[in-house]
Amino acid sequence: MSAPPPPKQSPLWSMLMQPGAGWRFERRLYTGPVREFAAVIIAIGISVAAAGLLVAVAGAGVLEAFRGMYEGAFGTRDSALETLVQATPLIMTGLAAAIAFRASIWNIGGEGQFYAGAAGAWWVSDLLADLRPAPLLFVFMFLGAALAGALWASIASVLKAVFKTNEILTTVMLNFVMFFVLSWLLAGPWRSPNTFYYQTERMADVTFLPRFTTDSRLHWGFAIAVLTAVLVYFILRKTPLGYEIRGLGANPVASRYKGANVGVLIITVMAISGAVAGLGGAGELLGLHHRLQLDIAVGAGFTGIIIALVARLHPLGVVVAAVAFGALINGSTAVQVVTGIPAALVQVIEGMTLVFVLLAAVAARYRIVRTSVSHG
Amino acid sequence: MGEILTHLLTPAVIIGILAGAVRIATPLLLAALGEMVSENSGILNLSIEGTMTLGAFAGFMAMSWYENLWMGLLMAVVSGMLFSLIMALMTVTVKVNQVVAGLALNILGIGFAFFWFRSSFQDRSSLDVPTVPTFDTADIPGLSRIPVVGEVLFSQHWLTYFAFLMVPMVWILLNKTRYGLELRSIGHNPEACDMRGINIVPRQYAAVVFGGAMAGLGGVFLSLASTGMFFPDIAAGRGWIALAIVIFGNWRASWILWGSLFFGLIDALQLSLQAKGLSLPFFGDDYQVFLALPFVFTIVALVLNRSRSRSPLSLAIPYHRGER
Repeated sequence: MSAPPPPKQSPLWSMLMQPGAGWRFERRLYTGPVREFAAVIIAIGISVAAAGLLVAVAGAGVLEAFRGMYEGAFGTRDSALETLVQATPLIMTGLAAAIAFRASIWNIGGEGQFYAGAAGAWWVSDLLADLRPAPLLFVFMFLGAALAGALWASIASVLKAVFKTNEILTTVMLNFVMFFVLSWLLAGPWRSPNTFYYQTERMADVTFLPRFTTDSRLHWGFAIAVLTAVLVYFILRKTPLGYEIRGLGANPVASRYKGANVGVLIITVMAISGAVAGLGGAGELLGLHHRLQLDIAVGAGFTGIIIALVARLHPLGVVVAAVAFGALINGSTAVQVVTGIPAALVQVIEGMTLVFVLLAAVAARYRIVRTSVSHG
Repeated sequence: MGEILTHLLTPAVIIGILAGAVRIATPLLLAALGEMVSENSGILNLSIEGTMTLGAFAGFMAMSWYENLWMGLLMAVVSGMLFSLIMALMTVTVKVNQVVAGLALNILGIGFAFFWFRSSFQDRSSLDVPTVPTFDTADIPGLSRIPVVGEVLFSQHWLTYFAFLMVPMVWILLNKTRYGLELRSIGHNPEACDMRGINIVPRQYAAVVFGGAMAGLGGVFLSLASTGMFFPDIAAGRGWIALAIVIFGNWRASWILWGSLFFGLIDALQLSLQAKGLSLPFFGDDYQVFLALPFVFTIVALVLNRSRSRSPLSLAIPYHRGER
């Protein structure tokens, strides 16, 4: 009796099952900007498909919803300008997050710092109401906003630098605290006597940021935001401070050995981050709302975190991502009107996009390689 | 001030506040214990807030569909487990930065719950909040008759008893069982565990999913025991406070219990004063100050108790086999 012949196997089977043979993932030594960008685009594509699925499950026409989204965001000149209005605070909070995250400092407090900035600007406008010329007043209002945002962020950064307190938790807590501080100020000391709502008096016309056109809400805050993005890009890429920030993010131990004062660096980075978020708050206050209230750009701080991460922490990418998310917010209102799909869809899409971008970014770091078949 | 003291020194009020503290501590305790197990395996799950919101929502929806509270409880646990499975996939398998993954899932979880909620109840005005019946408190026969102690400890919800029971259970799991000790050693030194032949991946998955189930339970306590409602910010920072409790509780089950009770006490105190309509010194009727207290205390507690001796050494550091 001869031995039975070995069982026949399909090539596919052997490819998958034979140890040491077939296909496997191999980590690339260098990913490159092209692949990283492609990964983000693919991830956004998947998110759009998933959003379509969600719309279908919710019982509305997918194409109808997408068309409504596009029309609402870019369909007319007015809607396109309104998209930029929506993007304005997001650029600032996105930059604030990106600066801190570059240094691996997890500033989740953009929301609180944003409101601190708005409150700071309002306080200065109240204090220096008679200061003229107007440009000087603007300088002080924005300074007040930047300072307020930076100070609020500094609570977390000083605690981190001195006591190594986890900044994720302190910044999250400070968001809540800021909300209650502001609602206390708006319920009591700062409340306008002429209104039923928790808000201040309407601000003087002289404090209004100019608008680009007479028929849209697009104000100079957008230009300030884009300029800030360029400035942040320059700081990160071309200055010693930017070098230290990136160094701290890439390798904190090496930064310390190199002689960088990590504590001072942490406080500096958080102060810049908080100041940028605070300026964003001032922009919304002086450009759109003209009175301090609790719902100027709700959630801008959190959306800024998503934007920073989706943009892979690139300051100019933040601008692009913020406009895209601004379009999403703006378009979703139209979708709600047309299809009845709640505008809360935005948050789901934001979350999904980030999850897919994170996964795609890792996937881009690997390649599938054919391994040589070795028997025995 | 005098009024407040007289109010607070009334025996019935004290008992009410203490019982309230135990009740309010429940979701914090559940979420924090689950998170501690997850962190002990080396996975920092920052998405507790989102998981709690999702659990609260899933319980609420299941309740409004099946009109069965236990079904609501089950759905909350299942949703918490499924959601944290995504977390485990992202962090254990794909090895995404754990902080970033947690932040992403928070936004996704809250957004998803909010979206589904709005889709289900969109024809209602925002003032017409849908409500469902809630769990009744369950008196433990005999024990609930003990004066003071009975009212404080033994006239609570089933979930509260379960949460308190989980304190020794989790302690035994992590300190007295082989599985738990191995889990903790994974959190400290995954490479050594890998060499020892301990299967890391399934254990980390199990730990994260357990944490998700507990957070889901904590969430459903809010919707089906405390309020009978759902709203997007129902978790109101409790997930984050639970994370802080794990840290300043130095990853010890017993300290986590005291930490949760402490926050329960602050909240119960505040609710009692507010219900009585007493004015605060200096701040008057502005209760925002009191509402901010838990968050201020969280920061203070993180600063005051800096003992991190039980912190898993490889917390939030992804393990790549064959790389250093």
